[in-house]
Parts: sequence; C-alpha cells; structure tokens
Amino acid sequence: MLPVAAAVIALAYPKVFSLPYPQHVGVLICMNALMAVAWNITGGYTGQVALGNTVFFGIGAYTSSLLLRDFGVNPWIGMLAGTILSMIAAVVLGYTTFRLRGYYFTIACIAMAEIVSAIVVNTRRLGGAVGVTIPIRDASLLNFQFHGTNKAPYYYTILTFLAVALFVVYRVERSKLGYYFRAIREDEDGARALGVNPARYKLIAFMLSALFTSVAGTFYAQYVMFIDPASVLAQPVSVSMCLMAVLGGLGTLWGPVLGAMALIGISEATRVTLGGTGQAVDLMIYGLLVIVFAVFQPTGLMGMLGKLKARKE
Amino acid sequence: MTFEILAQAVINGLLMGFVFALVAVGLSLILGVAQIINFAHGEFLMLGMYTAFWMWALFGLDPLVSLPISIGVLALLGVCVYKLITKRILDAPRLTQIFATFGLSIFLRSLAQFLWTPNSRMIQNSWVGDLRVALGGVYIGAPQLVAAAGAILAFGVIHWLVEKTEVGRAMMATAEDRDAAALMGINTEQMYTLAWAVGSACVGLAGGLLTTFYSVEPNIGLVFGTTASVVIALGGFGSIKGAFAAGIIVGLIQVVGGFLIGPAFKFAVVLTVYLVVVAVRPQGLLGKY
Amino acid sequence: MALLEVTNLTKRFGGLVANDDVTMSVNEGEIVGLIGPNGAGKTTLFNSIAGVYNPEQGKILFRGEDITRYNPEQACQAGIARTFQIVRVFKGMTVLDNVMVGSYLRSQSDADARERALEVLKFTGLYPKKDYLASALTIADKKRLEMARALATRPTLLMLDEAMAGLNPTECQAAVDCIRAISREGITILMVEHVMEVIMPISDRIVVLNSGKKIAEGEPKAVSADPEVIKAYLGGKYVARS
Ligand SMILES: Nc1ncnc2c1ncn2[C@@H]1O[C@H](COP(=O)(O)OP(=O)(O)OP(=O)(O)O)[C@@H](O)[C@H]1O
Ligand SMILES: [Mg+2]
Repeated sequence: MLPVAAAVIALAYPKVFSLPYPQHVGVLICMNALMAVAWNITGGYTGQVALGNTVFFGIGAYTSSLLLRDFGVNPWIGMLAGTILSMIAAVVLGYTTFRLRGYYFTIACIAMAEIVSAIVVNTRRLGGAVGVTIPIRDASLLNFQFHGTNKAPYYYTILTFLAVALFVVYRVERSKLGYYFRAIREDEDGARALGVNPARYKLIAFMLSALFTSVAGTFYAQYVMFIDPASVLAQPVSVSMCLMAVLGGLGTLWGPVLGAMALIGISEATRVTLGGTGQAVDLMIYGLLVIVFAVFQPTGLMGMLGKLKARKE
Repeated sequence: MTFEILAQAVINGLLMGFVFALVAVGLSLILGVAQIINFAHGEFLMLGMYTAFWMWALFGLDPLVSLPISIGVLALLGVCVYKLITKRILDAPRLTQIFATFGLSIFLRSLAQFLWTPNSRMIQNSWVGDLRVALGGVYIGAPQLVAAAGAILAFGVIHWLVEKTEVGRAMMATAEDRDAAALMGINTEQMYTLAWAVGSACVGLAGGLLTTFYSVEPNIGLVFGTTASVVIALGGFGSIKGAFAAGIIVGLIQVVGGFLIGPAFKFAVVLTVYLVVVAVRPQGLLGKY
Repeated sequence: MALLEVTNLTKRFGGLVANDDVTMSVNEGEIVGLIGPNGAGKTTLFNSIAGVYNPEQGKILFRGEDITRYNPEQACQAGIARTFQIVRVFKGMTVLDNVMVGSYLRSQSDADARERALEVLKFTGLYPKKDYLASALTIADKKRLEMARALATRPTLLMLDEAMAGLNPTECQAAVDCIRAISREGITILMVEHVMEVIMPISDRIVVLNSGKKIAEGEPKAVSADPEVIKAYLGGKYVARS
C-alpha cells in the first residue's frame, strides 16, 4: 500500500509543482537518493564503510561527458561505458582493500578517492581543475538533454533510475546475496564459518554500488551540464552519500530515500530562508542535525518510524 | 645545484613531517584510548589556527606567546566534544561514531565560514616569521624550525606521560581493555576525558605553531585531517610511536615525492604509498592489529 | 579410512607451541570428545581443521581430501561446520535469518533455503523463537542457534567448541539430547567440552590434549583411568565425582 502511495506521489509531483524550482528540488532528491541507495548496498547491508564512492560518481560523470565532448558519443552509450569502467574500478578497489578491516578500509577508500581527484585535477585532457562543459545538443530523450524551464523530463528520467535501483535492492534483500551481505556485516568470521566467501560478496556489493553511483554521475553531468573536481570528486560528496543513508536508516530499503528527502529538504529550506550560500548556515544546521541523529537516533528515520508504529500498536 | 634543491626538499619535508606527526599523535591518542577516530580532528586544527590568528589580530599576541591559549582552548574543546557527543556513542557501531564526527567536522567547518568568511588569513610579521638559517646552500625557515622543535618537545612530553607516569599506565590499561581497567580500579571515564584533552591539545599546539608560516581558512582541516588519518593508519592504529614515525615519513614523502613527480601530486604520492603499505601489511607499520 | 585424519599437526604462535605434533582421527558416525585443561590447544586444533589457521607442519585429510591449506569457507563447503567457543551469532538478524545464511550454502532456491532453515529450527527446538533478534536470546539459545546455523549447511562433520559452557543443568541436558539427535541423523561430531559429566557418557572416544600435545586417546573409561590424564587434567576431581 505504502509503496503504491509513494509511487503515485512521486509520479504526480512535477504535475502538481510545475515551477522550475520545486521540480529542481525533486530532481536533486531523486539523484541524491540514488547515490544513497547505492552507498547503502556496501555501507548499510554489507557493513563496509566505503568513503570513496566519488570514484564511481566521477567515472560516470567524466566518461560520458568526455566521450560526448571529444568524440560526439551519445550520452546513453557514455553512461553504459561509465558503468562498465566503474565496475572495473570497483573490482580493482575491492581487490586492493578487501583484506583491510574497519577504519583501515575506510581510510584506504578515502585515499583512493583523493588520488583519483588529484589525477583529474592535474590532467589537462580531463579538464583539470577547470572542469568540463558538456556540449549542447538538441533537446530529446535520445540526446539525454532537455532544455528550458520544464525540469519534468529530467525528473522522470532520474525517478526511473531510482525506481530500478530500489527494485534491485528489494530483490537482493530477499535473496542469498542479501543474506550473505548482512552476515558479512554482522560478523565476517562467523559468516566464513558458514561457507560465505567475504571477498567475493563484498566485491559484488561494490560492483552494484558502483553501477548505480556511476549512473547518477552521468545524470548529474547531463543535468548540470558542467562538471569539475570540486563538485564531483571532492570528499564532502562521498561523505554526503553516506550521511543520507545513515540518517535515513542503514541497511533498509527506504532509508536512503527518506534521508535524501530530509537532507535536501533541510539544506534547500535553510538556503532559501537564510539566503546566500557563502554563509554556510545550511551546512551548519546539516552538521548539527547529523550529530543529533548519531547521538539520539542512531537507527535513523526508519528506526524512528518503527518506534512510532510500535507505540501506536 | 640539483643536489641542493633536493637537500632543501628533504629538510622542508622533514620539518613539515614533525608537524604532521604532532597532529597524528593527538589523533592516535584519542583512537588508542577512547576507541574512536575523530574525523573532525582536522577541523580542531583549523580552530587551533584561528585561535592563534585572533589572539594576534585582536590583542597583538604573537602566536608563540599565545600557544598556551591555543592549547587550552583546544583541550577544552576536546573535553566538551567528548562529554557532549562521543561519550554517548562509545558502544555504538563504528559507523555511528564515524557519522557523528563527520557531522561535527561539517558543523565546525561551516561555523568557521559563517563567523570568519571563507577567506584565507595570514599572520603578518610574527617574531620568527622572516628569519631563516643558512646551512651551505640550504635555507631553513625559522618558523618551520620552531614548529618542528615544538612538535618534538610535545611528543617527548606525551611519550613520557604515557610510558613513565602512573596516569599514563592507567591510560594504556584503559586502551588495552576498558572493562579490565575498570575492574582494576582505574577511573576509565577520567582516562577518556584526559585522552580527548591531550589529543586535542596536540592540535592546539600544532595550530599555533603552523600559523607562523601557514595561512588559515575554514577548509584547511580537510587536507590535514585526511593526512592525519592516513598517518595513523600507516603507523598502525594504537601506536603513538608509529604515528610519530609515520608523520615524519609522510612529510618526507610529500615534499620529496612532490619534488620528483610534481608538487601537484604530492598528496597523491603519500596516499599511494599508504595503499601500497597496507596492501602488504594490513595492520600498518607498527600496528599489532 | 577415517572421515577426518589429522597427522603430525604443529601450530605455533610466535614462540608458543599451541599444537605440538598432534595425530588423531575421527571415524564416520562417531562422537569424539576433545578434552584438556585451559590453554591445552583444543580451540587451536579446531581452528586449524576449520581453516582459520594454517598449521606450520602436518596434514589434515577430510574424506581423503587434503584440506590443510583450506580457508574457513572452503572447509565449510567441504562439509565441516563448527560453532565458536565465544558465540558469534549475527546479533542484528533474526533467528530464522541467521539459519538462512547457513542453509543457502546447499540450496538451489530461496524457497529451498527457507524450508531447510525452518526444518532445522524445528529440529533444534528454536522454531517458536524464529522471529526474535539473535541478540535477544539467552546464552543457551545463542549456543543452540550456532548449532542450528551450522547444521543448516548440511555438514558431514560438526565441530562443537564448548557448546555447554555456561549453561545450567536443565539447559545442559537439553543440549545433550540435541547432540544425540544430531548424531542419530548420521552426522559425525567432534566436540570440546569442559563439563566431564557431560562428555564422558556421550562420547564414543576421547582425545586428551595437554600443553599442545596429545597425551591420551581411547574409550572414555580407559581415558579417565589413564594415570597421565589424571595427573595432567582430571586430578582427583572427576574420578572422585564419578
Ligand atoms: N591467536 C592466538 N595468538 C596467540 N596465541 C594464541 C592464539 N590463540 C591461542 N593462543 C594460545 O595458544 C594456547 C592454546 O590456546 P587454545 O585456545 O587452543 O586453548 P584451549 O584448549 O581451547 O583452552 P580453553 O579451554 O581455555 O578454551 C594458549 O596458550 C593461548 O594463549
Ligand atoms: Mg578453547
């Protein structure tokens, strides 16, 4: 019942709010939700706190953009190429880090992401620190570009990606993969004793996560029409994917979506009411909120809903 | 000629390495005793630097004079953060802890930006600011020299505190096993508070020393914080000596690597070395794991 | 040929020799008890067999297959399931989900895995608690859950490391009944136990370790009468009580 209602609301949203700004917020929420859902596969279900997902986001954004700019390749094909590259990167990242546990792993991920960022910043061919402007094509679904003030086509595109990701996670949750992911999160040695090969399943989790993050990367590039290391590859971008998943509820299907709605909602609301971005008041509130949640509501919004439900019954 | 440039690079790297080492020792102490990586450690350093800057800008105090103030302010900050935040999540999953300190880092960074604008600020004409020592064709900046000396001194004091005093032993016992330490009659709560105070004081000192030759801006903590966490992982979690040694190594790699490959890649070189090390030794250089 | 054959196994931790030239075997269908004082090397031997440690010397054969260098998941896939001395249940998952993880090893489909898991839960008596979070269970139930989880992998050999430590007499008796029932299903059992009253009557054979070395092997009666065993471990205690 609830998913149906959610779907109806999500589909009707741009019809009800036809102004560019609310539609833009809708796009932001779906895009961030997609990244958080992807992060949740490794971080939430498998328990591997990977803080380097910008690698995949960046590969997605840069691959399609550079292919389009330099070779005129259609962004959809660029997106496909990006996901393949991202999954290869996930294998490499996984193989070099899967022996590491706990903080060693987290820091190794941060290191990887910073290395990739440094390489892009210093390579002129990749746009360097300046970034890449995506060439304008005719507006059409085939070209993955929609101009003008109506953001609805972008909204429906990203909503479709998000729905696919949620469906995949829903299926994974109920299958061998999902059980093995959670077993690895709970106790890696215990899982091994039951015949689970942690390296293999962590790798699968990484690849799934990389795939969706990469798709979000291509979408971001096609939506904003400009990418640079600061907006695509910086550490805070990695952190925010993780924060949304944790805030919403780790290892739950809908948690990352709720987290994205809450964080984007709050940051947009503070930005609009408190004015200019340079002031960073939105980020201050966001930071505070994260602390408050970590201390008082570590199971996130989903946990809060669960408690409310229990109280009603 | 090239030899002199290389020698210069090595000297600079070494001196900077001591500062990294001091920052990392603070982080390592908190991790070792209180079992949590403070991902806002870099932002603590940023606040240490701002403290020194404002003491200079408002009261004309030289950063070297205001060192006790920077140290005190940061120690207090550490205690507050422990009492208000991390104490409540001691037994929470690691991710919750990471989450909380990330939130803190975002908060502090944006708070600094809100209060003091994103502009970068630099202390002019501090006492040691323009002095330098010539050694053959190699120059050693006095601020860097003083910073390195301060870092070494601080490390000596912490090392003495941990290894030679009753309090230090109690702290290490707490680090080893909190419950066992509590059974032995150690006030573990006090030990945690102390670790946060001393660990944060380290960046107060480092921040004060850095301002004599480094400008401060709200985002300065990102690089220093990441570097510090890489340093302690490289040294091996829980090893204060490992953190200090790794700090020096990282300083050297950064400058020498930057010299050989290009300054823009200096950070990347450090991170690559780190990845290679943990690929071979997942527990870091001196870690027991 | 025995089901499990350990020959001249040596495992060191730095200077400490935790298992010193241990040779022992377990036959198909048997219940073998592994006993010895604290620190004798029982858990270490378990871990070497289960693939957690790589022994420095010696050989482990399982159904004729050399498994000395196997890792834990390979050992389990080969048919060796084990429980842990310090329980390692998946605390944040329900009892049923814990067992599902085990039953997926040899299941073709999700439905298969579920059916197998429910079957095992009924067999071990945990069925009424199947929706509890594992963290909410008593220590006795946690140990039983580990057993259930291991059984769900359909093992040939089940290794139990102190499955009864910390249980009260009633819980102990229930565990003994459960182990006997497992054995009747045709599963071979190798178990470490400190509670002598429990292990002596249940075991077909006993292997005794002391300071890493095997000092005796044989039928429970013979072993408990062995002077060296009495000196090393049992002291007057067991003999006096029996
Ligand atoms: N991972 C390890 N590293 C170093 N030493 C170890 C390790 N595991 C066990 N030991 C040592 O090896 C020896 C044998 O330990 P083991 O756990 O096998 O004994 P045990 O017979 O199972 O004892 P208990 O009855 O207390 O469970 C002990 O001295 C122990 O301290
Ligand atoms: Mg044992």
